[in-house]
Amino acid sequence: MGITDAAHDEYAHAAGQDPTGTSVVSLLACSLAGTTVTLKLMDNTRLAGMHAGVEPVVEQTTCNYGLDPKVQQIANGNGMAVSAIDDTGEVRAIERTDHPYFFATLYQPQLTTSAASPHPLLTGLVAAALAN
Amino acid sequence: MNRQISVIIDSPSDATYHVATIEALEHAVEAVGLNLPIVVVRTPDVDQTFLDSFTGGVVIGPGSPYEVPGNADDVIRSARERGVPLVGT
Repeated sequence: MGITDAAHDEYAHAAGQDPTGTSVVSLLACSLAGTTVTLKLMDNTRLAGMHAGVEPVVEQTTCNYGLDPKVQQIANGNGMAVSAIDDTGEVRAIERTDHPYFFATLYQPQLTTSAASPHPLLTGLVAAALAN
Repeated sequence: MNRQISVIIDSPSDATYHVATIEALEHAVEAVGLNLPIVVVRTPDVDQTFLDSFTGGVVIGPGSPYEVPGNADDVIRSARERGVPLVGT
């Protein structure tokens, strides 16, 4: 993707340092920790297909860091696609378009799952794993 | 390495999000209806043998920064390059 000095701000902060380089993961303007987030699922993504017929999709999150808005464009290209955004327009999920099953979320599906209603992202992972 | 769901997570096994992650995967395995082991792998224990051979699927669990962040990154890279299913939460 051409970002040779990509930086993960959470790692720098954990080490007591100021981030250097181009922040790809940075502190969210408003911490999501301990909150819910309503997703806008992007058309024609696998994630949208998993949640077909469910509206709205509300997830829980513990995230304080996310994709830096200044580089959000990298998530739509290079084999990736933005799967979901929130109501501020910030990315909340990404999927790889060149991979059998590869998702990254800024929410925790494990917090909105139950035995009676397991999360489709995780049942999808298990199904894909059995084929791997 | 046998097919399994590897869970990359460093928090104690009784930590809230650790428990939630394991239970969520147990729900998913039961729903799919086929047995698949769920195995916790701490980042300090990720070595080249694991990186070259893990198969099935991977969950990158919550709780960053990890004890060895570079090892979590290596698992993600290996899953991407070898086509192993992955969900990073």
